[in-house]
Amino acid sequence: MTAKDHGETSGAEQRLIRELAELLNETGLSEIEIEKSGLKLRVARTLNVQSTVAAAPAAAAASAAAAAAKIAADPAKHPGVVKSPMVGTAYRSPEPGAPVFIEIGSRVSQGDPLLIIEAMKTMNQIPAPHAGKVTSILFDNGQPVEFGEPLVIIE
Amino acid sequence: MFDKVLIANRGEIALRIQRACKELGIATVAVHSTADADAMHVRLADESVCIGPPAAAESYLNIPRLLAACEITGADAVHPGYGFLSENARFAEILEEHQITFIGPTSEHIRIMGDKIEAKETAKRLGIPVVPGSAGAVTSEPEAMKIAKAMGFPVLIKATAGGGGRGMKVAHTPADLGLALATARSEAKAAFGNDAVYIEKYLTKPRHIEVQVFGDGQGNAIHLGERDCSLQRRHQKIMEEAPSPALNAGARKKIGETVAEAMRKLKYRGAGTVEFLFEDGEFHFIEMNTRLQVEHPVTEAITGIDLVLEQIRVASGAQLSHQQKDITFSGHAIECRINAENPRTFRPSPGQITYWHPPGGLGVRVDSGVYQGYRIPPYYDSLIGKLIVHGKTRNECLMRLKRALSEFVIDGIETTIPLFNELIQQPDIANGLYDIHWLEKYLAKP
Repeated sequence: MTAKDHGETSGAEQRLIRELAELLNETGLSEIEIEKSGLKLRVARTLNVQSTVAAAPAAAAASAAAAAAKIAADPAKHPGVVKSPMVGTAYRSPEPGAPVFIEIGSRVSQGDPLLIIEAMKTMNQIPAPHAGKVTSILFDNGQPVEFGEPLVIIE
Repeated sequence: MFDKVLIANRGEIALRIQRACKELGIATVAVHSTADADAMHVRLADESVCIGPPAAAESYLNIPRLLAACEITGADAVHPGYGFLSENARFAEILEEHQITFIGPTSEHIRIMGDKIEAKETAKRLGIPVVPGSAGAVTSEPEAMKIAKAMGFPVLIKATAGGGGRGMKVAHTPADLGLALATARSEAKAAFGNDAVYIEKYLTKPRHIEVQVFGDGQGNAIHLGERDCSLQRRHQKIMEEAPSPALNAGARKKIGETVAEAMRKLKYRGAGTVEFLFEDGEFHFIEMNTRLQVEHPVTEAITGIDLVLEQIRVASGAQLSHQQKDITFSGHAIECRINAENPRTFRPSPGQITYWHPPGGLGVRVDSGVYQGYRIPPYYDSLIGKLIVHGKTRNECLMRLKRALSEFVIDGIETTIPLFNELIQQPDIANGLYDIHWLEKYLAKP
């Protein structure tokens, strides 16, 4: 892969490009494009890496990488997927500092709390709709989620 | 000025709001149901949040979900469009409590004009001429009969919680009154949860003429002329024009000034439309809509003013961009509401648009969120776009409309375009000689 510089590429951006490239290989996708806070990146299998940098704060690179990690379309269609029933902010534990509800590999029974979604200062526990083993956790602590967003996969 | 506006609506008006925000450099959040994930404005917005399943009650009408969407995106203002929550005083109030600006009037004014009896009383107090009718709600048949006989039949029984053309029943003679009253009450209860009704004189061949107003909330207000929306089917407008063929400059100035002065006294903020029935040279107030209207583009065409931009500016605390003396009217404009419906039976026709080619050229505007390949969801109203044409004169406008309609291609679904082709051939339409019953009479002909 060659990099075409339209300006200076910072260390954070280079790490981001590498992460995206690894993601391409892992997922078998042929192209990934992300745009966030003035930074637009496209990484494609066809040997051209183009980066257009207007202004790229390091914080944007970190959350952009997290967003890239969710590109795979399959989770929403997985039979064991648990989707968000509401709009709000998702948390892994009942309160800050407390242990998380679930980890990858956790076994849950139907009705066990998986996460909390907070909306307008009210905390809503999201229960497991069926029993099984947690194989994927698809959100980060404190991430805004929308209705229907895949959160967890329980197989 | 706002940093981020959440668009609490869908379809063509959501796209309209998206465009105005972009021109002001404001970031946008498109909220949508699962059925609207592929909507044009959702694709164009800076951020989108899915807020629920297709049913409006679980998505576009769901206040907690809308608030949560504001919270997670950090939106500092909400534009409600038209319909849905645009005239919901509680929604406006809740947003204010959360320090989010509701782009529209105060909840108090929404509430006053939302109750049709109170609206009428308020209009009277502000000097706006009203339709003769009962002083308040009518609760018994004897009371209704007394009022009706004093005014003279025919009379119209209207739900106080109604509006937008719904919740009305005619009693042509004293013999009809009992049944009309009972039916109106039970329909009102079912549709609006409130069976309070009032009575008005039923005008037999009025035109529907409405005046666009704008206030800054500080006691300044202007009018932007009138629109004639007499072509209606089941009280739903299908074609509108500005200016009205029935008014001359003198009449326009008079009713415009009356309404603007009323809005100054009220200290009204934002866009509003005061609707009248006009018969024999007399205006009769029927209701005020405290929101942007579907047909606002015809006013934009003849005044050159972007009404949504103005709404956003005024909501952010700016003064009105224009004084009354700056407002000029140029030419004539007509809008056709294109619905995904059979042009004769009006049966809805959801489905996929296999070919979409809108008309273009000077004086032609198409406001639509659909595109080739788009699937029209069956869950919402059937409006898929508005065709607005402008010309230097009414005749030029009609010629342009005919030309534009002939270029418009929408394949894969049925639309009401063939109906508009027919209508503009009718001498009455060409001559501007129609009232609010004209279209239904025309459609009833075999």
